[in-house]
Amino acid sequence: MTTPTQKRREPIISARGIVNRFGKQQVHNKVSLDVFPGEILGIVGGSGSGKSVLLKTLTGLHRPDAGEVLLNGKAIDAVDDAQRAALIGVLFQQGALFSSLSVAQNIILPMREHTDLAVEDQEKIAAIKLELAGLPPDAAIKFPSELSGGMVKRVAFARALALDPRILFLDEPTSDLDPLTASGIDALIQQLNDSLDITVVIVTHDLNTLFTVCHRVAVLVDGKIIVDTLDNLMRCKQPWIREFLHGPRAQGALSARSRKHGNR
Amino acid sequence: MQRSSSEPPLSRVAISGEGDRLAFEGVLDIRTVSELKNALKGRLKQAKPRAVDLGSLSGLDTPGALFLRELRHKGVELTGIRAEHEALLELIGNLKAKPLEKPAAVPRWRELIIRLGKGADAALRDTIDLITFVGRAVSAIGYAVIHPRYLRPASISRQIAETGISALPIVGLMAVMISVVIGYQGVAQLRPYGGEDFTINLVAVSVLREMGVLITAIMVAGRSGAAFTAEIGVMKAREEIDAFTVMGMKPIEMLVVPRLLGLVITLPLLTFFSDVMGLLGGAMISQWLLNISPMQYVDRVHVAVHTNDLLVGLIKAPIFGFLIAIVGCMHGLRVKGSAESVGQDTTRAVVKAIFVVIVLDALFSVLFEKLGL
Repeated sequence: MTTPTQKRREPIISARGIVNRFGKQQVHNKVSLDVFPGEILGIVGGSGSGKSVLLKTLTGLHRPDAGEVLLNGKAIDAVDDAQRAALIGVLFQQGALFSSLSVAQNIILPMREHTDLAVEDQEKIAAIKLELAGLPPDAAIKFPSELSGGMVKRVAFARALALDPRILFLDEPTSDLDPLTASGIDALIQQLNDSLDITVVIVTHDLNTLFTVCHRVAVLVDGKIIVDTLDNLMRCKQPWIREFLHGPRAQGALSARSRKHGNR
Repeated sequence: MQRSSSEPPLSRVAISGEGDRLAFEGVLDIRTVSELKNALKGRLKQAKPRAVDLGSLSGLDTPGALFLRELRHKGVELTGIRAEHEALLELIGNLKAKPLEKPAAVPRWRELIIRLGKGADAALRDTIDLITFVGRAVSAIGYAVIHPRYLRPASISRQIAETGISALPIVGLMAVMISVVIGYQGVAQLRPYGGEDFTINLVAVSVLREMGVLITAIMVAGRSGAAFTAEIGVMKAREEIDAFTVMGMKPIEMLVVPRLLGLVITLPLLTFFSDVMGLLGGAMISQWLLNISPMQYVDRVHVAVHTNDLLVGLIKAPIFGFLIAIVGCMHGLRVKGSAESVGQDTTRAVVKAIFVVIVLDALFSVLFEKLGL
């Protein structure tokens, strides 16, 4: 798999020496990570290895105990809210759709707050975002409580895309989904990356996503991070990585890499 | 780079060219698309453009591409499209872009009638539910009393601690405050007639008969009634209630009976405490406003108050406690999957519990008057 990294060496988002502690437990010990424009980076690690905390740190939701996050070379705290919203889109694990708003209102909300687009333009844009996310137009009037798990994820995708962000953070985009829907989401991620040139950072447990979609993979082990292409990581001697990438589930996913289908 | 993302607010777009051949320059994105649209409107009055050159367009995003797609549909030819924009234009161009479906509009007057109907229907169902639930709860209590094994004293005592002991400070404070309020009003109203000493009668009787139990019940409805709904509601949302059922345990017996009995025991005790604190507040008021010493105050209260006054207050307490717990638990079990639903039912439970308490208190007032108590 070719990485677009070779073309553009200026990171769009980079973490420098991140340290995160909770009580006595040190989750991140001087973790540094560069994400380059146009790439799809997967973040993996065992339960409690600090994947979600890293994602929160990268999006500026969590202030690390030490180190800094640079968004386009600028400290993320110094970037103002509207600008950050235009650069970063986040898909939360449970979707985090506003339950009092309909699907259409959920997608229009960031546009209404941050742009001076006319209402009918906002609606048109929301309509194409819905379509891009693979939802039928009649989903617009539904409320989050009326949606299935896969639809919630797709609406959350559409909302994350509302302001055409340059970077999309996805927290477990395929968890709780059946394999068919999950591979639909994988295809969506790839399509967005291809045609909209969106940089994607995915926190995932899903080996299929990892094998079929990601250009590079960051592994969190023992508070440290190891970032490389999957092919190089396959040869890595680190015990957790070996087990993770050569376990029975990984073998199945690996064979699915060519077929892009199936689970286990 | 598709877009000069380092400084998004500075992105600009401009129209150049003459007559029906125009060119767009700069960044056409979500921030600039409205500006371009307005600028183009001015141009349209002069001449309808035939072709637009996009060679100098340095950035494009989906709203921009959508706008170009619309131009194209109006018969404008797009020329000089940069290679990096082609994929995006093609993607957007191939979408169906159906307009968003909108909820069917209902006329105001019909909406009003629909709401009225729904409200009436909900009220009817609520009443039936409440009666059914009272029946189920009472039968569960009866069963537990006959089979003491299912009475769960540990659970009941925990409920008493949570709803009673930890409510003592706030209930006591409220009782003192209420008698201060009644005392001040009484002195102000009775002074012109020279009867300000009767303020003591007013405070003592109204605290014992009404205020003590009412304030306590309202406080407990807000505190424990809400807690019951939220606790049971979260358990319901997390399928814990289903887990009980599947394992052959009755949720009503496990969750509702201890809370009901707990509150039925607790509320009279809290009310008694609140009565004492209310009389204490009365003593403070007499000292401040009437210069009546606490010893004299005790004598006056002794004359003004009958045992009946205390009992009339206390007899209502277990009934209020029962209803608060019933409403709280019923709404807890009514919660549907979502967190939102927990919040909704908690609000409803508190409102309904306080409503029921006050309505019932008014009925009791009339009843005791007729009975001459």
